[in-house]
Amino acid sequence: MNVLILDGGPRDGRGAACRRVAAAAAEEARGRGHAVSAFAPDGMAIKPCQGCFACWLKHPGTCAIQDDEEPILRALAAADILVWITPVAFGGYGPALKKALDRVIPNVLPYFATRQGEAHHPLRYVRRRALLVLGTLPVADPEAERIFHHLAGRNAINLASVRTESLVVHGGDGDGSAGRVREMLAAAEGAL
Amino acid sequence: MKALLIIGSPRGKASASRALGGHLLRRLEAGGLEVEEMSVAAVLGSSERRHDLYRATDAADILIVAFPLYVDQLPAPLIQTLELLAERRRGAMGMTPWPGPLVQRLVAIVQCGFPETHQNRPAVDIMRQFAKEAGFRWAGGLALGMGGAVGGRSLEKAGGMLRNVVAALDKTAKSLIAGGDVPDKATAMMAKPLMPRWFYHAAANWGFRNQLKKHGARKKAFDRPYA
Repeated sequence: MNVLILDGGPRDGRGAACRRVAAAAAEEARGRGHAVSAFAPDGMAIKPCQGCFACWLKHPGTCAIQDDEEPILRALAAADILVWITPVAFGGYGPALKKALDRVIPNVLPYFATRQGEAHHPLRYVRRRALLVLGTLPVADPEAERIFHHLAGRNAINLASVRTESLVVHGGDGDGSAGRVREMLAAAEGAL
Repeated sequence: MKALLIIGSPRGKASASRALGGHLLRRLEAGGLEVEEMSVAAVLGSSERRHDLYRATDAADILIVAFPLYVDQLPAPLIQTLELLAERRRGAMGMTPWPGPLVQRLVAIVQCGFPETHQNRPAVDIMRQFAKEAGFRWAGGLALGMGGAVGGRSLEKAGGMLRNVVAALDKTAKSLIAGGDVPDKATAMMAKPLMPRWFYHAAANWGFRNQLKKHGARKKAFDRPYA
């Protein structure tokens, strides 16, 4: 299977926990025989989405901005398992992961379709996918974590994920996450 | 009293977020408040504008953040801006969460193109959590579905379809001027569908097809360049 890992941690010391989780995820996925594509958006030249919708209405499937987002879009189109890693920012995702995710709309279609009773955009690249979302927090924060898990669930509906797991790692170093990453990957494989 | 509007849409002045936040701001101005607005895109564009944001935020009694829903939450540049504000306020006290008195009020306005208002819920929750972490008094969120029907036009010229939206913003302004929060009734009015769901759905899909045709891209609509 194809595994896409997006490490949304900052490049500086604040991203250390995310880097450890991302390394554990990549090692585990490779060890299980998967092809891994890994990106760290904070170090990549990815401009913010302009909200121009040219990727739907003018040149469907490609973004008006030519930059480092394109390899992520290619990998996303082919991915079976998505692994997103990010510092928890007010319960949501950090800006580095989010700038990459904001630019994924070329990979969906403009039209509305109904999914789980709600309007969503159909996928341009239909595939059974699983979504694993891992957040890092220095210390536990129940409300921020509730928001984070809810958000991952909303993303799962948007992506038509067939299996979604979310986890918040505490302690700032990401140690001890390898076991949980293994369980999450196994759950994804089982669903796919 | 002073009110600051932060526009979180990359489309800036042409955005539905600005139309909504701008309407509230004008009502506050009519009620005697000093008002100012800034766009996130401009703030992140230069250190000078960032300092303008810090100055304006420090001086504001009411902070209004208006933005579109991007992938179920805030657009990336807005998250970055809120992180800058929160880090600065934490740094000022060397503590987290913010221990100071919660004097400044924070209002969030979020709109999405989907017909269901509840798709905005994580974004409103994130804004409330930001208020908690950065030391603002959470005054409430106004969430709107079917944001595509608002566009970037003035709400005064939009007619009856947006009457509940205008009424919600007007009620909110009245309450904020009186020192209150976003009234529950305003939140409920803003959440009301602007039209039947099936109609919005059909109109949006018709609009997408029309735009594709206009740009000569209708036959490419389902292209898969990365397949």
